[in-house]
Amino acid sequence: MTENGTKSRLKAKLRRLEFKNPILVASGTFGYAKEMSAFVDFNKLGGIIPKTITPLPRTGNDPPRTIETSSGLLNSIGLDNDGIDEFLKKHIEYLLSLGTSIIVNIAGKNIDEYCSLAEKLNQVEGIAGLELNVSCPNVSGGVDFGTNPESTAKVVSKVVNSCDLPIITKLTPNVTSVIPQAQAAADAGTDAVSLVNTFQGIVIDWKKRKPVLGGKFGGLSGPAIKPLALRIVTQVSKAVDVPIIGVGGISTIDDVMEYLVAGASAVQIGTANFYNPGVASNLVDQLEQILDEENCSHYSELVGTLQL
Amino acid sequence: MINPSQCNHDDSMPGANPFAMQEEGTVVEISTMAENTYRLRVKAPGIAGKITPGQFFMIRPSEGYDPLLGRPLALFDVYEEDGRKVGFDFGIVVVGKLTSLMANWAAGTKVELWGPLGNGFPLPECKHLMMIAGGIGQTPFLAVSREALGLCSYGNGERNLKTKPEKMTLCYGARNKKYLAGLDLFKMDGLDVEVATDDGSEGHHGFVTGLLEKSIIKGNKPDVVYCCGPEPMMKAVAKICLDENIPCLLSLETTMACGFGACFSCVTKVKEDDGGWDYRRTCVEGPVFEAEKLIL
Repeated sequence: MTENGTKSRLKAKLRRLEFKNPILVASGTFGYAKEMSAFVDFNKLGGIIPKTITPLPRTGNDPPRTIETSSGLLNSIGLDNDGIDEFLKKHIEYLLSLGTSIIVNIAGKNIDEYCSLAEKLNQVEGIAGLELNVSCPNVSGGVDFGTNPESTAKVVSKVVNSCDLPIITKLTPNVTSVIPQAQAAADAGTDAVSLVNTFQGIVIDWKKRKPVLGGKFGGLSGPAIKPLALRIVTQVSKAVDVPIIGVGGISTIDDVMEYLVAGASAVQIGTANFYNPGVASNLVDQLEQILDEENCSHYSELVGTLQL
Repeated sequence: MINPSQCNHDDSMPGANPFAMQEEGTVVEISTMAENTYRLRVKAPGIAGKITPGQFFMIRPSEGYDPLLGRPLALFDVYEEDGRKVGFDFGIVVVGKLTSLMANWAAGTKVELWGPLGNGFPLPECKHLMMIAGGIGQTPFLAVSREALGLCSYGNGERNLKTKPEKMTLCYGARNKKYLAGLDLFKMDGLDVEVATDDGSEGHHGFVTGLLEKSIIKGNKPDVVYCCGPEPMMKAVAKICLDENIPCLLSLETTMACGFGACFSCVTKVKEDDGGWDYRRTCVEGPVFEAEKLIL
């Protein structure tokens, strides 16, 4: 296989989005990439999604902000970030120099905030797309747009119309069914949906009669949630015609393959970046090997091949 | 369109860990230091050759998901084979799932490591350095002492102390004498070791802060204090030092998920120039901070 051939068989296309391969890293688990520079070969990654950006700086929640659970991590960071202006000043130039697609993850308290963030980022040359965080469980005061199809549709269509950038909508699993929100996002013109954000949970110190996390409730991630997230990817993939980016508990190449087979056209590596910081770029190499073993000319031949 | 390379780029936000690496290590040996307290030695030449006193590394089992996250641990000492740094020692107190596992690791166990991480203690350019430790917080001070006394060099050899401190004191407090870990290792020429125990079973009867207060009263006020231990103890030390105008560095132990700045878990309140404060990441901006800059 020539180098070009190798590259083309990993190339991912999700409507207007194009990645050199389907292995991305999830927002909130990769800092602003600089933190990972000692461990990861950025150039190998399909894409990087830095930590969520809001219009204004946010202090974030009081510590403790994370607590480990059985094979999982419960977090209530609370979108600690310096706001869009500092992001453009401190991080965007570095991010865009890394030789991979940069998807900027944004969150607002209302539709206007999402749109003004999108308009600002639309002015920056080189950004590959936006991921709309309509599903962070840790932000009080804001509307959780991702919990019903009407508000999901509204925010997605407004953002799609306010910029030229491809749009990914990251949906919450904390609903009866994710299918209506995924359908609404698809109808509103999203290029892909990220499935899923964290599952809301709580860890309790019963002797103190108190939650352990400063933010009280948190979002659960890590290997513990993989079957739950995979179930949602499987169901949405069967029901809705929209490219899916699978995320939730991926740390090995087998995990990646399970998501692809379930119907994800790309994946995001999240919590695994914390406990195995070099994992994401290693998975890209391993995906190549699997394609050899499976005799695939393009990884998409495996996408959605699950027999239910 | 905005061309990002023409943005007014500001690189003031810390985050890069230029010397860090991920490395599979091997447990070499484990020994009991005190009640519930163990010293582990791992072979990991990459990290061993770079880590400096007060820096930390993350460690977890190479296999499995429970426990999931790495744990931050401070460098105790580096060891050599054939004149080359090949591994390092660290101390643990058994408190949870991973530390219970670690206490039972056999020689040969494979472990995942990443480091060196964080900003350690600077070289003590002063006349009298006092190191104040509580709990397992004495571990960073073995390497600090050896380096300051010229007995050992750490890192890539770029750290050179111009003048050795004339006096160095380690004040070490524990609940009782059963928990005093590795005291014999601190027996080196040029280092005075003073002990405090809560129950008076050894040394000064009371908190370790009593040793600092005594020293000040006797006219042996240190020029610089390095401190590592439980938060209430560090808070008390910081207060005495601020009142006495003694520069004081604290090594914080905050809950971390990643250790390298990606997760934003390990935040602590750091004073801002405008009189306010901001949550800063202990792993990349610390773990060693100037006490006067913290809101404890």
